[in-house]
Amino acid sequence: MKKHPVSLTVNTDTYDLLIEPRKTLLATLRDTIGLTGTKEGCSTGDCGACTVIVDGKAVTSCMMLGVSANGKEITTVEGLASRDQLHPIQQAFIDKGGYQCGFCTPGFIVASKAYLDENPNATEAEIRHALGNNICRCTGYTKIIEAVMSAAEAMRNA
Amino acid sequence: MSEYAVLGKRVPRVDALEKVTGAAQYGGDVHLPGMLHGKFVRSKHPHAKILNIDTSEAEKLPGVRAIITQDDVESGRRVFASDKVLYLGEPIAAVAATDPDIAEEAADLIQIDYEVLPAVQDVMEAIQPDAPRLHSDDTKDGPARRAISTVLRKLERDNSQDHSAEIAELNAQLETIEGEVYYNISAETHSASGDVEQGFAESDLVVEDTYVIPRVHQTYMEPHVSVADVESTGKVTVWASTQGPFAIRSGIAGTLGIPLNQINVIPTTMGGGFGGRFGVVLTHVPAVLLSQKTGRPVKIQMTREEEFTDGRPAPGCVIKLKTGVKNDGTILAREGLAFWDSGSISGASIGSTIRLRGVYKFPHLKVDAYGVYTNKSGTAAYRAPGTPQVAFAGESQLDEIARKLNLDPVEFRLKNMRVTGDPVPAGPKEPKVGYKETLQAVADAVDWKNRTKGPNQGWGVAIGDWTNGCGPGGMFVSIHEDGSARIFHGSIDITGTDTALAQIVAEILTLPYEDVTISRGDTDSAPYATGSGGSVVTFTMGNTAKLAAEDTQRRLLELASERLNTEVESLELKDGRVSTIVGDPPKSIGFGELAAYSLSTTGGPIVGKGSFARKPSTPALAAQIAKVEIDPETGRIKVLKMASSQDVGFAINPMAVEGQIEGGTVQGYAWATMEEMQYDKKGNVNPGFVDYRVPTSADLPTVESVIVEVEAPDGPFGAKGVGEPPITPTLATMANAVTDAVGIRITELPMKPEKVVAALHGNGK
Repeated sequence: MKKHPVSLTVNTDTYDLLIEPRKTLLATLRDTIGLTGTKEGCSTGDCGACTVIVDGKAVTSCMMLGVSANGKEITTVEGLASRDQLHPIQQAFIDKGGYQCGFCTPGFIVASKAYLDENPNATEAEIRHALGNNICRCTGYTKIIEAVMSAAEAMRNA
Repeated sequence: MSEYAVLGKRVPRVDALEKVTGAAQYGGDVHLPGMLHGKFVRSKHPHAKILNIDTSEAEKLPGVRAIITQDDVESGRRVFASDKVLYLGEPIAAVAATDPDIAEEAADLIQIDYEVLPAVQDVMEAIQPDAPRLHSDDTKDGPARRAISTVLRKLERDNSQDHSAEIAELNAQLETIEGEVYYNISAETHSASGDVEQGFAESDLVVEDTYVIPRVHQTYMEPHVSVADVESTGKVTVWASTQGPFAIRSGIAGTLGIPLNQINVIPTTMGGGFGGRFGVVLTHVPAVLLSQKTGRPVKIQMTREEEFTDGRPAPGCVIKLKTGVKNDGTILAREGLAFWDSGSISGASIGSTIRLRGVYKFPHLKVDAYGVYTNKSGTAAYRAPGTPQVAFAGESQLDEIARKLNLDPVEFRLKNMRVTGDPVPAGPKEPKVGYKETLQAVADAVDWKNRTKGPNQGWGVAIGDWTNGCGPGGMFVSIHEDGSARIFHGSIDITGTDTALAQIVAEILTLPYEDVTISRGDTDSAPYATGSGGSVVTFTMGNTAKLAAEDTQRRLLELASERLNTEVESLELKDGRVSTIVGDPPKSIGFGELAAYSLSTTGGPIVGKGSFARKPSTPALAAQIAKVEIDPETGRIKVLKMASSQDVGFAINPMAVEGQIEGGTVQGYAWATMEEMQYDKKGNVNPGFVDYRVPTSADLPTVESVIVEVEAPDGPFGAKGVGEPPITPTLATMANAVTDAVGIRITELPMKPEKVVAALHGNGK
């Protein structure tokens, strides 16, 4: 299949790629660029494990073609921590026990970041609603919500 | 429990950083140079003869490297359907290609000709004589025929006197029993104690009902995946996301006839399992076959849709249940007959039917269970396999009895519960148990006696019991020259068990938690470890860790005794050093110094070993109370409160234990209210998250977990397995709450809104 030139920025690095039009952004990130922190849980946009931030908005990357990401700025879970410090959401997931198997965790952390950037004063009900596109099968959500609430507070006080 | 420095503390997990940064390597993250990608050709019918498989067009597609069918399985074990397909989505062939999309294109080009056969999806239809049959040799006697046949066989064997008249009479009776030969039976199990007929005769109230529990998928978030690499020497390496690498090794060896020592299974981080990730046929064996044929590494990753059609979910079942009680609430007898939907292969958790006895006294008990073949994929374990289903039936019926006799449902249960030393119906005596404490704890947590409710609101209570498994495990603990310790083992951590093991070793060696690190080996390097299922790991590997740490402690004391010129008996471990217990002047030496000393003398590296087979485990109870509100217009069940208590023996890490309770409870809630794999004559009709709904954070409030600690005599520091119990009560907890709210008794799950509305209008089940 004919490949198309695509230029995109992922976590501040720019990539000039040649990709088939049938490859998703998720496949581009995982297989072409080699950033495997973003997970594939359903391939139909229903579980949220592949959530990344595209130009400031949370997107399920299995539902976006790689060629559509041309010229976009993308943040994945690998781009959240600085060299010596975790993002407050990552730290909160550790402190509150907000993960178990961890497969959905990158999606939850990225979706939470996108949401809290938009609504730093979110209530518990708003957070529960905003994360309603992400499925976790292990935790029952109690500790995830605790983690996001406490991260929001830490981010407000930073 | 405050005497411990590290145990019982909410320490962060050992894998914290890799899990929150995306660095953890799951099965799908393995990428090898030259790797091919495998895809399956799957049956388009639930039951059909395969007339022809034509791969010629697919072979021509550029990038295709191999196509395999059952003909390529030299051992002859069934990996692919060859003569007959038994369910929609059953694999018939597999393709390896240079790109996953090319492999999928090629799979679509393979032509299969079928002769379609009638299919059966419903267990109660499958046992009828006119049902389509999946296998031969599949008929069994039902309980009534079986009772007579058992006596007949005894009489026929007894040559001491003439029984011909009695034999003729019994044979005549057999003739009159109709509908008691079952077809499509994969397995059966029967147990009894006392005399249920007598028990029902002595009862003031006998309640009978039929309960229907749907087949649900474990829905681990990472679909099945494996990467196999077969070298020219024949050596097989498999990167597997699995609960049991050693089970995968023996499974591949057994299925393909490869010597065990020619197989290395490298376990990756695993994205959830819940019992569904022990088998080898879904991806591991096909990946090995494709790699054998191509000489290249091959990755096979199932899609979510394939998980629903070809996964191995939890069996649904139909349970006919009858319970007899006295007017004062004393339970006398229970009789249960269960039909488990095994799908196309044997293996549904029918043995759990005995848990219909719950944790109650039941002077008279009889339980019969059958596994039934249907045109669906086979089943596997799902968190306390079989128990949520039977607890739904048992605990719903007790709730109904409490209502009829106007008894408090908590008091009624407490009155009939077994305590330590009581006989277990059709089982041994109870060891040390904490059933009453656990139920009381959740009742206290919600202030049960003073509960209030508004219109369309109700409270439900239920319990479920489980006993953690136990299996063999081995482990090494090394002391490094800097005084830190490293654990090496081969068991899989899903829920934080590595953290618990590090806490145990740190506690015994008096090290800070941060100074104990842990590594997992593959099956070539690590000592054997039992699979991570059955709430087994903390109990088994915790005991193993204790042995390994104590062995390390012994060696440290010996070395320190040499260096300090002091008897071993006068020494102790303290703060990462070996010190004199008393003595003037006090003497001590650090672990690091001892490790360095040992390296340069005849001692060699300090390595403690733990090797463990088994110890008796003790049963644990989970108890839950929910408060719900029903919208009578839409039928939506809103959970206002959910409290979940569990006897965990001793919570080595309370944060991890709470996580298990919360997660299990929500899975139970989902089974009760929304999850159901649906089938029509053509097969599964809801293979995706749009039609198979699982709960999200928007569905539920916070789960309040209540930890109860009734020490397990043989558990490490008293701990019991915690993973499975919390799912067991929730199906009934929810159903009982709905009854309390709006007076309807739903006996067929899930309680989707439309079913609740129908029941409110008097035409539901």
